[in-house]
Formats: sequence, C-alpha cells, structure tokens
Amino acid sequence: MNKVTENLRKTAAKLLQDKEVEMVIGYGLGSEAVRTQPVFITSPEDTEKLVWNSFCVNGLTKYLSDLKTHPGKLAVVVKGCDSRGIFRLTQDNIIPRDKIVVIGIPCAGQLSYTKLASKMDVSGQLNDVEEKGDDVVIKTTKGDFTVKKSEVLLDKCNTCEHHNPVVADHVVGDAINASPTPDSYDEIKKYEAMSTEEKAKFWLSQFERCIRCYACRNICPGCTCRECIFDAIKPDWVGKEIDVSENELFHLTRAFHLAGRCVDCGECDRVCPMDIPIRLLNKKLLKECKELFNMETPGSVEEGGSVIGQYRLEDPEEFM
Amino acid sequence: MCECKTREVASPLLPHIATVNKIIQENENIRSYQVTFDEPGILENFGNLPGNCGMLSILGVGEGMISITSSPTRKGMLEFSIAKVGRLTTAISELNEGDKIAIRGPYGNNFPFEMMKGKNLLIIAGGIGLAPVRSLIDYALDNRDDYGRVDIFYGARTYDLLTFKYDIFDRWPKIKDTHVHITLDAPDPKWDGRIGFITQDWVEESCSAENTIPVTCGPPVMINIMLKLFKKMGFKDEDIITTLEMNMRCGVGKCGRCNIGDRYICVDGPVFNLAQIQKLPPEY
Amino acid sequence: MADKTIKKDQVKTMLNKIAQSNQLIAPIQVDGITLFKPVQSGEGVVLDYQNALVPPKDYFFPQSEKMFSYDITDPSWAIKLAEGVPNRVLFGARPCDVKSILLLDKVFDAEFRDDFYLDKRNKTTVVAISCNECRHTCFCGAFGISPGEAEGADVLLTDLGDKYLVEALTDKGVSLLANFSDLLTDDDGSGKAAKEKAVAPAKDKQMKIDMEGVKAKLDNMFDHPMWATESMRCIGCGTCTFVCPTCHCFDIVDFNNQSSVGYRYRCADSCQFANFTRAAGGHQPRPSKKERTRQRFMHKLRYFVDRYGDFGCVGCGRCLEKCPVNLDIAQIINKVKEVG
Repeated sequence: MNKVTENLRKTAAKLLQDKEVEMVIGYGLGSEAVRTQPVFITSPEDTEKLVWNSFCVNGLTKYLSDLKTHPGKLAVVVKGCDSRGIFRLTQDNIIPRDKIVVIGIPCAGQLSYTKLASKMDVSGQLNDVEEKGDDVVIKTTKGDFTVKKSEVLLDKCNTCEHHNPVVADHVVGDAINASPTPDSYDEIKKYEAMSTEEKAKFWLSQFERCIRCYACRNICPGCTCRECIFDAIKPDWVGKEIDVSENELFHLTRAFHLAGRCVDCGECDRVCPMDIPIRLLNKKLLKECKELFNMETPGSVEEGGSVIGQYRLEDPEEFM
Repeated sequence: MCECKTREVASPLLPHIATVNKIIQENENIRSYQVTFDEPGILENFGNLPGNCGMLSILGVGEGMISITSSPTRKGMLEFSIAKVGRLTTAISELNEGDKIAIRGPYGNNFPFEMMKGKNLLIIAGGIGLAPVRSLIDYALDNRDDYGRVDIFYGARTYDLLTFKYDIFDRWPKIKDTHVHITLDAPDPKWDGRIGFITQDWVEESCSAENTIPVTCGPPVMINIMLKLFKKMGFKDEDIITTLEMNMRCGVGKCGRCNIGDRYICVDGPVFNLAQIQKLPPEY
Repeated sequence: MADKTIKKDQVKTMLNKIAQSNQLIAPIQVDGITLFKPVQSGEGVVLDYQNALVPPKDYFFPQSEKMFSYDITDPSWAIKLAEGVPNRVLFGARPCDVKSILLLDKVFDAEFRDDFYLDKRNKTTVVAISCNECRHTCFCGAFGISPGEAEGADVLLTDLGDKYLVEALTDKGVSLLANFSDLLTDDDGSGKAAKEKAVAPAKDKQMKIDMEGVKAKLDNMFDHPMWATESMRCIGCGTCTFVCPTCHCFDIVDFNNQSSVGYRYRCADSCQFANFTRAAGGHQPRPSKKERTRQRFMHKLRYFVDRYGDFGCVGCGRCLEKCPVNLDIAQIINKVKEVG
C-alpha cells in the first residue's frame, strides 16, 4: 500500500472518529484491476476501503450536491481538476463551504480504463501499481503488466492546469512541483479553422450517436438545477425524441448553460458512453470567456461566480 | 382472481377517435364525460368490464389511464370521471360537448363480479376513489338479484368534494336493499350529516364479514387504513379487494412504468386482492 | 439443410448480394466505434470486431420511432400510421444479442402484440456470428448462452480461419442462403468439427459467474441494506439501460411540429431516471437512487424470471463497461451470493 493511501485512511479515520465529518467520499477498489469506484465511508473502520492510485479518474464533487441535506459535514477527496468543482458548487450556492471538508491529493495524471483495456488484461483484482518515470507497473491477480504512462494517460491530463488541488483542508501526499501544462487551445483552433460545412458535418455525426443518457449532465458539478430544463415538459424545450436535431439542441444548450461556469474537469468526456467529445464544446466557450473577460478557469479561486452573471466595469463593450 | 381474458387487439397503441357527448360537472375539480366512438362498431364491441380503464388522450398533449366509471350494463356510451391534476387532465377539463378525444382500451383486469354473485357488497370509497368502483356498483345494481345487500360508505374532505352527488343522494339509495352512508372529514355548512372518518364501529353497525366481499378505493393513505379495517372485521385476504394506482404509459404491459415486482399494474391490475398485494414488493 | 461453408474473401460478395434485395444492417466503424448501421453493400462492413457498442435491439425497438401523425385542425382527428420497414437482413449479431431479441419477444409478442415491434421482427432475417474471442466484460455463459450457438437467429456463421461455417437455423435462413448458393460449399463435416475449437477461447476466457441460487436469494433481499450502499455511487443517468440489449422501457410523447400538425412517438426511457415513476399529483414510489438501483437489478435477475421464466440479462457486459461509476452487475451478483 502506498504512503498516500496510508495517510488518506489515517486522515479520514480521524475526521470520522472526531466526528468532524459524517461521511468521507473517496475512491475504493473497483470491480476490475484498473478501475476504482466512489465509496461513501461513514465509520472509521471502513476507511480501509479508501485507496489512492493511478486509476482514480472519477470526479466526486457532484455527490456533494446530492448529499447537501445530509446531516453534519461531508469530506470529499479531490484531485486538482476536481477541486475546481468545489468552488463551482459553493459559488452557485449549492452547498455552503463550511459543510465541506476537502481532502486534496496532488495528482500527476490518471490512466484511462479504455486505453489500458486495449493493452493488458484488466479483469483481475489490483494488487499494486507503481509509476517509475514513464513506466507503470500494474500488478494484478491476472499477472503483472508494464505500460507506458504516456500511452495510457487520460487525454485531459496532457493539459493539466492544476496538479495540486486549488483548495484543500487536508493535503495528503507531496505537492507536485512540476509546472502545469494548461491548454493552449490548439485543438480548439483547429476546429475554429474549419468551414461551417465542415463543422456541421463533424458535430452532427457526433450528435447522431448521442443516446441521451444524460451521464454528462449528471456527473457535472455545474449542472445542479433542481429541475433540469431537459426534464421539463411544461414547456417542452427539448423533446425526448432521440434524433440528431434534438440531440444537437441538448448539447449546445447545455454548453451555453455552462458558459463561464464550466470548470473544465473533463468528466463529461470520460463518462460519455458514445465517445462524443463533449468537452470540446465547453472548452470553446471557455476559450471565448477567457479572451473576452480575461479570467481564470472557473473554480480556480474561491471568490467569483458566473462571469456572465456578473457585471464589472472592465467587461468588454466592443459592441457599444 | 383475475377474470380477464387475454385480448388480442390489432395495433394496441393506436387510439380510436371519440366524441364527448355530455359533460357533468361533479364538483369544482372533477367532471364526468360521456363519450361515443366515431367509428361504428367500436363501442358495441368494446367489451369493457367493471374496473377496466381506458387510455385517454388529447392529440398533441399526451395520454393518461383513466377508469371507466360506467358499467357495461349501461350501453350506448362510456363514462369517465376526471380530476384536473396535470397537463393532460387540464387539457381534458377544457373540453366542450362535441369535442374530440382519443381512446384506446379497455385495459386492466376487472373487479371479480362473478365471484361476488350471491354475496353482500361492502364498498368503502374516499374522494375521487368512488370513480373506479362506480362501474362495479352500477353493474351489481343493474343485476340486482344476483347480489345481496349493498352498502356504500363514502367520505370526502368537504361537501363540495363529494363526487357523483346524483348517484349517492338520489339514485342509489332508492334501489332495493342498497344503503349509502356518507361522511365528511370536518364540519361543513352545506352538510348536516355525519362528520368524521370512516371507522370500524360505524361500518359494523350495518355490515359484518358474513357472506360479504369488501372493496375499497381512494387515496393511498385511506386504502392502507381500510385494508387494516377489513382484516380486523375478519375478512380473508383473498376476499379483500382494492385498486392500485401507478403512473402508466403504454397500458399494455411493455413500457415498464407501472412495473412492480413481476406485475404490470396495467395488465395484472389495477384490481388486486390483499393476498396478491402482500406478495408484491412494497413499491406502490 | 446441411451445413455449408463460405470462404472469407467471398463474404463481401455475399453481403453485396444480400444488399440487392434487402436492407442490409451490418457492423461498421463510425469514428472508431463499432455500430450496426444500414449499409448499401458489403463495403465497409467490419468482421474483426467483438461487439457493437449499441445492441442491434435498436432495429426492433428503436430508441425513438414515430407511431402516427395527426392534424388537430382536422375535425375528424384522423391519424396516419407510420410506415413499416422494408425487408431487412441483420448481419453480425452475436449470440448474446440474439438471445436478447428472444427475451424482447417475450415482452412485445405477448398479451397485446406490439405491431411496431413485430413489423420489424417479422421482416428481419438475423445472421448471427459466433464469438471466437470475448471481451474482458463478457459473461454470457452465466445465463446458459453459448458463444457458438444462436437459437433465435436464422443463420449462424462461425469463423474457422480461412472460411466461415454457415449453418441455416430456420426456413427463413434457408431462403436467404438460396440467394448466394453459388458462394457456398457443402461442409464435409470438418467445418462443424472445427467449430468447437474455434469458439473455445470465448467460452474459456469470459468471466465465470454461477447464477445458482441467486434468484432464490434475491427473492428475500428486497429490504437488504446492500441496495442503499451500492446505489450511493449511481449518478442516475441512463447509460446502463440504453446500452442494454434487453431493456425495453419506453415513453409515449406527442410532438407538435409548428402549429397543428404533429406526431406521437415512443422513445426509450430509463427506470434510472428520477422522474420515471413520478405521477401527476406527486405520487412517487421510487423516490431515491436506492429504490431505482434496486429496481434495475431486481428486474433483470428476479422479476423477469418470475414473469417470463428467464433471466433478463445476457451477459454482454456493455453496462458494466460503460457505467461511469463502476456499478458492475457481475460484482452485484457476486455480492448477492455473498451477503444474501
């Protein structure tokens, strides 16, 4: 067991023992060697279920929204990207800051389940995983496998903005001093350079695949409306019919509802069962907002709020 | 217990178009609609039995499962009584006589009116719960000699919320050996009759479990209380009859919305006896 | 009909011939994902896939389909039924997905036969392909399904290396094969003999789950605390239900296109969505994730057995692979065996 896991369990156990929190939301071992699953620990004895490894891909902050009426305080384990979700929730007044105890873990990148499954037998149980430079040694009950981290890294980790959480009441693990590699939006520029016809062809072929499972919406810490516009039938904003036109309206509307608020955690991309590059839409709007409003990625600092929902004298007014 | 037969219907999801012939304002929130089908032959062969429902719709709004409140002994029309609670029922509440409505059915099982023959009927209903059992009451009263004494206990929150006032005050009490007992939850200036909930003592003044089949229909809270009341009176679980209500969509046992355990309320219900209910997972 | 074989390099020609007189639905790659799509010919059809991401149930019970159109200004409210489908061949269904169609038949072809489903079902000839390999998430054997058998299909192909074994399973299958009998050679028995070896890896390498006693345990586990624990991580999306080959819940909705002309359609719905069982008036029998998560597993592994005599799961593994929070039906089954 690595040191971070050990310290994580100690931290969580103490929080529960001292009754400082009623629940710790973290990662536990998954049903396959290279997966973890969210766990909800309510007793010090159960903290042995908590783990920290290279497969802690889930963003856990959305659960705070579901559990906002849970008695007492909630602790949640966050990586850098997830931690921006904490401020998203507090800025949107979904849950008060003092109800959350943030356990932050510096992260050097997580590994993709899909990429790993194409390179090794993922079906066993995890014994250990160790990263040595670009080599990742994954020891499972089905054998030991060595993969190249650069080949199995989650795509979003190539443009990591915060290796260290932007907020943490407790930090477990050593801070990562390596410089972040924030997105220069080269990929977005590639799409911007397309003609309207090319853009339409690309995006409509993506939206055609959408099965309207709403996984992207449900995992997003920015999507916290009590009644989602896509569930409303009075009026019937977006029909339930699953066709490319309705799907397009769903994705574009959701992107606009998140404009200026999306914390760019990348979970929407990961959870989509149909591999639709949803994050590109949000990134495009994020790029626009950064250029127009000279702002940081939402959720990077505690103060703030939706940039579109606030007025500052410095806001651009080139249209006036 | 279910006496329905499997019905092979072509295109079960396609509605027939009907016309609203008569609208009766039962109270502020509830209207009864008497309808006939536009296409000849549909009504005559509809084959509804007491307890069956129809899937009603306004084209462009949606569909909803509604009990057929008229007994099949009353030919020439189907009657539905509908409260205004949601989008569809609000649209229906704006219909005028002569307007169109779409209907498919009949769906669901029926009250075990055959098993009830030769026995007394003890019917306890609350509020709009009288609507689903009304078809059974009229069936029994239209075949009066096939059934014993009929007692109808009916309660509502206020006088205005009593439904089918013509039946409960004027028509049913005039029928041989048919007794209607009415109570309101709280005092009401329009009412000088009994006040209070329906209690075992009150029921036992007129009825016993001897050769009697009890039926109850109403809000879920009331049904729970009445089921316990019937058990205390000594009725057997298989004889205690009620209806379950779930959100329904297809009406033909496929879309999963009304699925409880291995049952679909739309085909295996809505009529159940207590023995059957006790086998269901408690999710209704 | 005796077993036949077809050379691998003749398969495209076979598909071209099928496409001449039928709508051909076959697996293709779309942005790197294998999906069943209507195709004009054998060109682009993939044969080296394990399974399509979205099951072929979509062609019998589509994610959405128009039922009929209407015009509210028409005083008679006459409705116009949606057209049926042309004759089709579904090529490349795996044994798990073939079984799922048989399970869906139990739902749609029983008490109130569903014409929309049956029109597609009756007009489709199913050509299944045995599995030589399996995904790490497969466990069809748990439900008595063999990677080398496909009862319910009309023709079954098995990859034997340089050729496919071609077994006609029904009269419909025999009729289909007659269209390209010139491409087929009689099997001298060696093909059939090689089949067992060809599908052995799929049998051996899949997840082994023993369903013995699981149903009996579930019969008494409605109030078991495991549902509260397991459901905590569910995010209430519809991924599992929409990639599942046996899920059949749907909604019926009226859609008004502009003014008075509209249509009624039905679309896939999910018991995992929070508002699925919520009624007008507020009655909500499954108010939290606990009830809804429990419903999913109870329905697949207990209620479906009670009503239709068979498990509602075929072990295709799509849900457990795609669930964003690793709610894994195989893990749930093992937990039921452990704590039930």
